[in-house]
This record gives sequence, structure tokens and C-alpha cells, in this order.
Amino acid sequence: MSCLIVQSDKTLLLEVGHELAGECRRAIAPFAELERAPEHVHTYRVTPLALWNARAAGHDAEQVVDALLRFSRFPVPHSLLVDIAETMDRYGRLRLVGDPAHGLVLESSDRAVLEEVVRARKLKGMLGERIGDDAVAVHPSRRGDLKQALLKIGWPAEDLAGYVDGEAHPIALDQDGWELRPYQKEAAESFHAGGSGVVVLPCGAGKTVVGAAAMALAGATTLILVTNTVSVHQWRTELLRRTTLTEDEIGEYSGSRKEIRPVTIATYQVMAARRKGVYTHLELFEARDWGLVVYDEVHLLPAPIFRMTADLQARRRLGLTATLVREDGREGDVFSLIGPKRYDAPWKDMENQGWIAPADCVEVRVDLSESERLAYATAEPEDRYRFCASSEAKTAVVRALVERHAGDQVLVIGSYIDQLDELGASLDAPVIKGETRNKERERLFDAFRAGELRTLVVSKVANFSIDLPEAGVAVQVSGSFGSRQEEAQRLGRVLRPKSDGRAARFYAVVARDTVDQDYAAHRQRFLAEQGYAYRIIDAADVLAGEEI
Amino acid sequence: MYRPRYRLAWSPMTDNAPPDRPGPGTAPAGRPPTFTSWLRGRSDGELAALLSARPDLARPVPADIGALAARATARNAVLRALEHLDSYSLQVLEAVVALGDDRLPAPVGAEPEALAAALRQDPGEAPLPRVLEELLGLALVWTDRGRLRPVQVLRELLPEPARLGPPARVLLAAMPHGAVRRLADDLSPDTAEASPVEAVAVLLADPCRVSELLGQTGPQARRLLEGMVWGPPRGTVSDARREVTTATAASPVEELLSRALLLPSGDDTLTLPREVALHLRGGPLFREVRTAPPPLEGTVRPEEAVTRAAAGQAFTVLRAVEELLEEWSREPAAVLRNGGLGVRDLRRAARAMDTDEDTAALIVETASAAGLLGTDDRVGGEWLPTRAYDLWREDPPERRWLRLASAWLESGRVASLGGSRDAGGRVRNLLGPGLERPAAPQARRDVLRALAAAEPGTAPRPESLSEYLAWCRPRRQSPVRAELVAAASAEAAVLGVTGLGALAGYVRPLLEGDEEGAARVLAAELPRPLDHVLVQGDMTAVAPGPLVADLARELALVADVESTGGATVYRFTEDSVRRALDAGRGIDDITDLLERHSLTPLPQALRYLVADVGRRHGRLRAGSASSYLRCDEPALLEELAGDRRTRDLGLVRLAPTVVAARVGRAVLVERLRQLGYHPVPEGGDGAMHLGRPEVRRADPPDAPPPPAREVRGEELALAAVRAVRAGDEAATAERRPVPLPEDGPPGSRAAAVLDVLSAAAREGRRVWIGYTDTDGRRVSRIIEPSQADGGFVTAYDTTRAAVHRFAVHRITSVADLGEDGGPEARPEAGGAR
Repeated sequence: MSCLIVQSDKTLLLEVGHELAGECRRAIAPFAELERAPEHVHTYRVTPLALWNARAAGHDAEQVVDALLRFSRFPVPHSLLVDIAETMDRYGRLRLVGDPAHGLVLESSDRAVLEEVVRARKLKGMLGERIGDDAVAVHPSRRGDLKQALLKIGWPAEDLAGYVDGEAHPIALDQDGWELRPYQKEAAESFHAGGSGVVVLPCGAGKTVVGAAAMALAGATTLILVTNTVSVHQWRTELLRRTTLTEDEIGEYSGSRKEIRPVTIATYQVMAARRKGVYTHLELFEARDWGLVVYDEVHLLPAPIFRMTADLQARRRLGLTATLVREDGREGDVFSLIGPKRYDAPWKDMENQGWIAPADCVEVRVDLSESERLAYATAEPEDRYRFCASSEAKTAVVRALVERHAGDQVLVIGSYIDQLDELGASLDAPVIKGETRNKERERLFDAFRAGELRTLVVSKVANFSIDLPEAGVAVQVSGSFGSRQEEAQRLGRVLRPKSDGRAARFYAVVARDTVDQDYAAHRQRFLAEQGYAYRIIDAADVLAGEEI
Repeated sequence: MYRPRYRLAWSPMTDNAPPDRPGPGTAPAGRPPTFTSWLRGRSDGELAALLSARPDLARPVPADIGALAARATARNAVLRALEHLDSYSLQVLEAVVALGDDRLPAPVGAEPEALAAALRQDPGEAPLPRVLEELLGLALVWTDRGRLRPVQVLRELLPEPARLGPPARVLLAAMPHGAVRRLADDLSPDTAEASPVEAVAVLLADPCRVSELLGQTGPQARRLLEGMVWGPPRGTVSDARREVTTATAASPVEELLSRALLLPSGDDTLTLPREVALHLRGGPLFREVRTAPPPLEGTVRPEEAVTRAAAGQAFTVLRAVEELLEEWSREPAAVLRNGGLGVRDLRRAARAMDTDEDTAALIVETASAAGLLGTDDRVGGEWLPTRAYDLWREDPPERRWLRLASAWLESGRVASLGGSRDAGGRVRNLLGPGLERPAAPQARRDVLRALAAAEPGTAPRPESLSEYLAWCRPRRQSPVRAELVAAASAEAAVLGVTGLGALAGYVRPLLEGDEEGAARVLAAELPRPLDHVLVQGDMTAVAPGPLVADLARELALVADVESTGGATVYRFTEDSVRRALDAGRGIDDITDLLERHSLTPLPQALRYLVADVGRRHGRLRAGSASSYLRCDEPALLEELAGDRRTRDLGLVRLAPTVVAARVGRAVLVERLRQLGYHPVPEGGDGAMHLGRPEVRRADPPDAPPPPAREVRGEELALAAVRAVRAGDEAATAERRPVPLPEDGPPGSRAAAVLDVLSAAAREGRRVWIGYTDTDGRRVSRIIEPSQADGGFVTAYDTTRAAVHRFAVHRITSVADLGEDGGPEARPEAGGAR
């Protein structure tokens, strides 16, 4: 009895309790994406993209088939094996190569494929003039578009045109008082070996450090794109602490400051800003001969940046994220534009190794009062979620929860400002929201980090990238509907390992029998698939002070 | 010393043949042997083998050996037989045709030694004896006093055997008489032959004379001949019929023409006479004799890997068939007017099976071929699983697969033709007409046999496979056949007959007809059903293998199937739990079921989900009515509700025109009928239905798919032979006609017949009668009369091996048999008399 079961929809089920599970995971990881990692059986998916990435990494179809046959508990359907072999065979028929005479060319040893591609409607305008029978010119700026479009029509191009090295700039890690963790090293190295790609690590596992390590490996000028200004400062602080870079070498490019230095940190917001339909800050990409572009929280990459990235195909690109799920379903674009997934670690594995704090997720169910129920039932559909999510009944429960964790640092997270203000007043805690000035935000966060503030009420501005190491409890009162990654990112705020090793607690306060509960179920899906099983308790138990 | 077995058959007279009777293989004294007499001399076993190998000869069973011989040498029958020959057999046959042509001047027939030499082999060298034995067995070749002769029609069917031209005699006969005479006069002025044709033919048959003639020609002429020796034996020249003599010959062509080394066969074609070509070839008939098929080349994998992959596919197919038929039992597919299946239904089937349409088409056709799918009888009917499907489901998986595989092997339908257009431009529908290809089963077997002949685990390249198959059946090669072969390969892969392109281990025994063995090997590969699942916190349950039927059914009710394959992944959602509750399961039933069968503790979130749905499920329940009555007259319902006799029905008046009843519809209708009302049951909509929809089944198809129409099995073939023998005996029996008065008084003829037959009955003799049967056909019978009276003779009809009553007035003639009275046991085998 082996540990792997191959499904006809090309998912692979891995029984994690099995003695061969580790070996099997290593064997299938090159060509299958980890899709779900709950307690007992992990699900991997064999996608064309994953198979092509495996080919790009030097694996061939025989190895893939062999791994499946070796570990599969049951006979593997022949048609599936054939399909895998055929899919992998499509890779490399087309190659993007640098040509001394014509610059970038798309060449093929299989003339029929090239003919098909040249005639494909989706590639219209991307290809230049024909060079002989087996090649066609490509404008360098279309390199990204073309690769993406070729993926979509099922003829992935092997990109042999290489990367520009960019302007060299020595960067080294300054491992004084800390050490690069093994997985961080592995992630940075496998990224560097692959040239471009995405590293997926849970919140709190130190993605910034992976970025720093990648910069050290690249040893070149670097452009870092992050989500917001607070995050810009955090990156800057981290880089100063972790690397040999000095203040003068790091520039900030945000709404208020426009510095361009060997390492420049910019926000997505400023990059995506337009005046009269024109992106005004595009020149940043041209400002220096960047050797590396880092995309923090790459799952948030806005659409305009997608397009700009397509023009940056010759530069090394590193995407960092914890939750590569997009409710808009554009995960595939991230892979094709930034690069394939280079490293991925299940959250629970990280937790077991102590790199992130263990977390206990609890869904607290609150009953709406009689009058609220009536109001809810008659509310307009578009107002319903807002109504039940910001129910007054939640306030008492939140207060009870905060009191219960009086000794800990508690974040109360929500989406609706009225509700947050009300909670702030009720808990006597400061509220950070969109209109809070950056300076004030940083002051409050610093106070919270220092332990001067025990409770902080935050809106979704604190969903990402805010590093609050000692926060041990998060109470979520409302969210952006059914967003899975928001839920995971919010849990991520409390996942930094605590100095005393205590476990983190994440509460989701949910109104029973309303859309709030339905959305909650959807929001929890990503975490449930990462093995975080929610417990459900009743608000009455919380209020009664029972053990939870 | 090795003596090939076929030599026995060639020995003209066997020692144990009685001297006064013609031995097998020869005709009655004096007459030269014929094909018919040779055939008559074959043993019963050999004839049975002939009928098995050429089943078309036995449809219908021929009346006697003469008829069998005629049929065996009929053009179409021989063509069919040729199609089954492999390349080597065909070469041997061509050699026999080339050398044994009775228009060659030499003694008629090919000598075995000469034949072997022509094939560059020793007479006893394998596989020549076996192949000759087979050709004799197929009655394509027969023996005449130790020499091999082809059946006549082969001259026509193989016009240029071994790429040789016709014998000189044929060419000469077609020439103007004057021209032949000139040739004869020029080349052999002092011949003894009467006709000039013979004179030249005999001349060309003499190797010394041919060498001599060749010696007289120039090098250019000889080069010309060399170009034609190995065929094609024809050349084009202007004015082929020109008049030339050895003296006037001016060009190389004329040199040859004047010496009859080339003969005109048209106004501008010259043909190399067979005798000359044979002489020039100097012995061998073929440049290359291909005694064995080309080796099958391709990837070789361990056979276990191949078998495992194939078994995986086989398991997938089983699951697909189940999913298809379950889907169609819930929501049947419509039967098109032409009896087929619509494209939309096929698409739905493909979705249900989670596969593409081509695969779906094959599975639909295979399920139908296996008798699992049928139509109901109604007009505008539906495709439904048959009752056989229910039985099939109970079988262990290996048996289920074998049933599908065998059905596929024998099916004359090709699923991949579905969706194509016929000559008239009509779309051929799946399960409809137009998909039949009688050659398909043969193509499938050929492909599988070829794979079986390769080293285990070999996945031959398509070109290698087609070369191999071309060797096996050189006369069958055609685009249609190539398509069938390609389809067979593709279908075999989809059905799990092959894995990774090579033959699955469990198919080997199946090809030998050993189903038990196949089932044993396959059973070891297929997963065994489990009775547990793993329930996880992300609201999924994983069944790490196929589940026992009961559990699978219940789980499919409580949870949605998310992915299938070796395992099944179920996802619990509000809808799925509600579905279970709708089907009458309680909250406790569901949690009990999961607790009992889950290896892991149930996650709390799942318990909450079930409880939540359960709590809400009841909220809108309005009552427990399970049937209702509608009526446009409130008064009638008033009356019913008030009737004391209906109290047990639990009638509740919901509206003036609607009454709900607690009892089920069937009971309600039945009871109301007893009370003298005439309710009409109303279908589905609106009624609160607890329980799953009724599962529907088609009646079994009228006739199970007919197995291939060949005469199968030795028994059957032997029976056919017995019938032929009996007919032959009647037709050829030596008989002494009994004179019957033709113009005597009325009735005297019948009386005379009766006399003879009564006498025969008394003496226990057999007599021959001519008889006009009820259809007016004149037939002959050998009968043993037992009783003769009232214008009828009751007799044992030895021809048909049954007792019959013959009307005396229909008997046209009577003859005594040339027997010494008394019935005689016919020898089991051997010659007829």
C-alpha cells in the first residue's frame, strides 16, 4: 500500500500519515501544485503549467510517469499518463532566443507548430516578420505578452533569451544576531536558480528576509514594490537590519517622497496612479537598470502593474506571497508574468517546525436580537451583509473576548468604520483606519509593538504587511465578504512566533443564520485547506465566561 | 528422416485402400482426379476444419461435396479466403499458382521439391510444411498424384503470381494464327507438334532451347530482358505486332520478338512469357521470401507497469459506465427517430463521466454492445439501463470489465464513426445505424494478436505495427482497414485492453479464450472495495479506494462528489446535506453514518453544518401530507372529507379545491376506487415526494448482440460435414434404377413404387429415391423404408438423419443401391462411395 492516489481529474491525493509520504511529496512536488493541505489527505494538482515548469526545471515525462506509477496505490489510468506525456511534449517546441541579427526571435524545430502559432488569432500583432521557415522575430517589449498568450494556446515557449544582469550593486546579508532559516535559504536559492518566480510562505514566516537573501544573491540594483507606505518603512527597517545596505542606498518612492536609489521601495498605489489616463510614474521602471524587481504580496498585484510587468520580462522578478488565491481567479497571470512557483511550504509544516506560532481558530456565533432579525430580513440584499456583520450583538461579545485576553495583545479587525469606531469607543482603544495619517499609524503600531498599547482596533489597512510580532489574539468582526485571502492574512497578523512561545488565537465573530455565516464558511476555506480547523462556539458561552 | 505430414496427403494411393475402390484423392478408375474428388477424399476432420476456417462455405450447409467444391472455388469465396492469408502463405500460394498452372506444358501441377526450391527452402524446412498444410486445409491448393495444384479461379485472382507473366501458350493463343505459324516455322521448322502454338510452347518449355535462343541475342537485348525478369513482366513498344524473323531482326526488341523471348500481348505491349522468366530467374521465384513478420519495434516497459496502467484505465471505464447508466436511469437520453443517440445527450453523458466526447461515445457503444443499455418500447423512447445492468453491477469488478471487453471485441460497430457523415450526407448517430463495420472485430483481434506476439510490455510504434499487420494480411490493406486498425488501437487504450501502448497481461488469456485466467490476473490489479473514509476539517471526506456499494450510495447522497479516480473525494455542503435530509435521512442518521465509517474523528464544523441544515430544514415544513386530491368541484371534496369511510386516509382540506392526504398516492387512489370514485393519479410536480425518484429500466434488448456469425466450435463444423457427406452420398451413390411403368394404367406407377419400397422395408434395405418436395424442387434421398401404406412411405431419411413420411405420388424414381443388401456402417472418416 503506497501513499498516493491519482484521480481522474489529475489531482493527486497524498496520505500524509503514511511512512512514504515525505519521499512521495518530494517526488511529486516538481510537477504538482499543492492545492489543499488539511489534516489527513493533501491534494496536489497536476496542471499543464506545473508540468511545463517541471520540464523547464529539467524533468521529463518518463520521470513524472515513473513517480506516479511508483507511489500510486492503485493502477494509474493509462489515458492520464498519455495526457501527461503529451502535455509535457508540448513544451520546448517553441523557443525564445536572442538572435545577434534580429534581437529576440521565436524559433521552432516543429514547423507545423510555428505555423499554427503564427496564424493564432490570440497572438495577433505580437509577432514580427518571419525569419526563414523556422523562426519569427519578436519585439522585446512583447516578450511577456507573447509568453502569456502562448501559454494560453497551449504552446509554452522555452525562454532561452536570458536575463539582463542589471546594474551591479553589492548587497550582502548581515547575519549578526540572527540566521537565515533553512527554508528561507532554500526559497531564495531556488528562486535564483530559476531566474524568476514566486515564493509562497505563510504569514510571519519571514518573506522579507527571503527578499533580502534574493537581493544578496542577485547583487544588483533592486526595485521593490509593496502594498503601502507603512510597509515601505518596514521593508526599509528590515533591510537595514538584515543586510549591509545603508540608509543612503535605500530610496522611498511613495506619495510623499520620490527618491531613486540603488534599492528603491515603491508602493503599488503610486505605480498605478494615473493623471489624465497616463501612468505618471512609469519612468521609475526605466530610471535605473534594475537587476531585480521584487513584488511583495504579489496576490495583490494590480492589473496595470500586470501590464507593466509584461514589459519587464528581461529582468529577474521575485513575487512574494502567503496566499496565492485571488478572488478574481487571476492566479495564472501571476505565474505567467512573474514566473512559476519556485517555493511553497504548507502552513502546518511551518507551524510544526516552530517557524510560525501555532494558532487556534474559533468561530463565535452570535444570535441577532429579535428586532435585528426582522430588520435583517427586510434589508435590501446589498445591505444585508453590512447589517448583520456590524450587528450590535457583536460588540458585547468582542468586549468579553478582549477582557478574557487582558494579558495579551489583541487586535480587533473589521471592515466597517462605524462599527470600528463604536468598538474603539466601547473598548477604549485607538482605531486605525484609512484616514489615519501614516505618522499616526506608525506611532500607534510602535506603541502596540512596545506593549504600551494592549488593544488596537484596525480596519483593512492592517490586513497586510503590518508586522506586529507580539500580537497574540485577533478578533475579526467583519470582512470583505467571502475573501479567503483576507481571512488568511488577518490570521497572519498573529502568526509571528511569540517570545514566550504561546499559541495565537483567532476569533471570527459571526452572526448566526445570516449571510455573515455563509461568507465566513467561504472565507475559512483557504485556512481549512491549510489544516486550520475552526472550532465553533456559541456567543452565550463566551458571555457566560465558560472555558473556550 | 523427417517426413513432412503433408506428404501423406500427396501419396496418390494409400496402401490400405481396397483395390476395387478408388482411394482417396483419386476419382473412380479411369477418370483423372478433380478438385471435387480430392475434396471428397479429405477426412471428416479436415472438412470440419475447412468449414471452421472458411465459415462462409457452410452458410447454408451445402447439399453435397459437389456443391461444397463449387462453393469453395467460387470467386468471392476464394477472395475472402485470400484475405486471411499472411504474406508468406500468399507467397507459397503464388508459387503454387505460378508453377502449377495447367497451361504450362510440363506435367500438370507443381512438384513439392520444385516448389521448395522456388522458395529457396528445403521441402521439410519450417514453416513451409505447415503453410502448405494450411493451404490444403483451406482448399486453395489440392494434390493431384503427388503434385500441387491451385484451384482454377486463382489463375484469375492472382493474374501475375510472383510478378510472372502468363504461360507462353496463353500469349500465343491470343496472337494471329499467321504470326504464330511464322514463329514456329522460323524457330523449330522440324517440330513434331501438330499446331504451331504447341510447337513454340514446347520449345520455350525446354531450358536448353531457351538458353540457346538467349545465346543468340545481343547484350542490349539481354539487358532488356533482365529489366523485366523480376516483374512487371510487360513492356511498351510501338507496333508490338510487327513481323520479324531471326534473319530480319534489326533491334534488340526485334531480336527478342523473333525468338519468342518476348511475345506481343497487345498492339503496343510486349510480355515476357512465364517459361522464359522462370528460366532467367534460375530457380527462386522471389527476390525475398518473407517467412516471418517484421519484428515489432517500440518502447519496451516492464509488463507489470503496463498491466497496472491498463488496469487503472479498466477501473476508470467501469466507473464511467456506472456513472453513465446511473445518470441515464435518473434522466434517460432520448432515442432519435433513426434509433440513435443525439449529440446533446452524448455531451451530457461525457459530462457525467467527466471525460471527452470520443471516450464517452466508445463507452456508450460498449455498454450497449454488452447489453447493459437498451431502449424501452415506447414510441419516442428512451435509452435506459437494462435489467442486465443491475445484475452486472453485482458482479466483481474484473467480471464486469471482462463483459465489456468481450462485447467490444465481438462488436461489429465502430464508435468513432459516430458524428461522421455517410455517403448521403446524413450524420451517423451513435447507437444508430451506419456504424456497423463487419471487419472491425477482425481488425481488433489482429491488433491484439500482434501485440500479444511481441515481447511482453512492448508498445510498438504505429508504423511498426502497421508493417506487422500488413505482413499478416497483405490482401486486406486498404485505407478503411487502416482506419479500423487505428480505431482498434485507440479503443483498446481507452478501455484498458492495452496500457502504455502495450498489451495488458490480463488480456493475453482472454485472447486464448481463457476468461477465468483473465479474471484472475485482473482481479489482482483492481482495488478492493473499502468501508471507511477519512473526514477532514475542510469539509471533505476522502474514500481512499472504491467503496462498498451501500456506503458509496449513502455518501453520494450526503456529500457532493468532487473528484473521482482511485479514490473519491466528497465535499459536504449545505445543499448536499439538505439533499440527504430531503431523501428522508435524519440528522442523526447522517452523523451516525459518518461516525461509523470515518477513520478520523468528525470535525466539529461538520457536525455544526449538519445540525444547522437540519435545524433549518424543518423550519418550513407544512405538514405530513404525501398525496393530494384536486377537484374543480368543491362540493365533491366536501363530500369526500366528510365521508366516514375515508377517515383512515387522513384527508385534510387545504383549499376549496385541494385535499391533502396522509397516505401515499397509490393507497389513496386504490381506496378511493374501492369507494366508487375514479381518481386519476397525477404525476410528480407539486406533490411532496419523499424518497428518491423511481429508478427505471428498459426491457432486455430483443436479441442479445449476436456473436460473430461464424460456424463456431468443432461440434458445429463436424455436424455440417456430416450433413454434406450424407448429401454427397445421396448424390453420388451408385444405383440401379428400378424401371417404373410410365404409361401403364392409372395408379400402376404408384403401385410399382409401393411394391419396391415395401420390399425394401421387409428386407431392411436402403433405396435411393428421386422426390419432388413441397416446393417443387427435385431432390434425391437415400431412405430406409419402414412402412408403406395409404399413399405414404414412412422411412428413415439417411440424408437428413430423420424419419419422414414421403408421398408416393411425389416419388419420381426409385433405385436400388449398389450395396449387398443390408445397411452398412459407414466408416467414420475416409472416402465416400
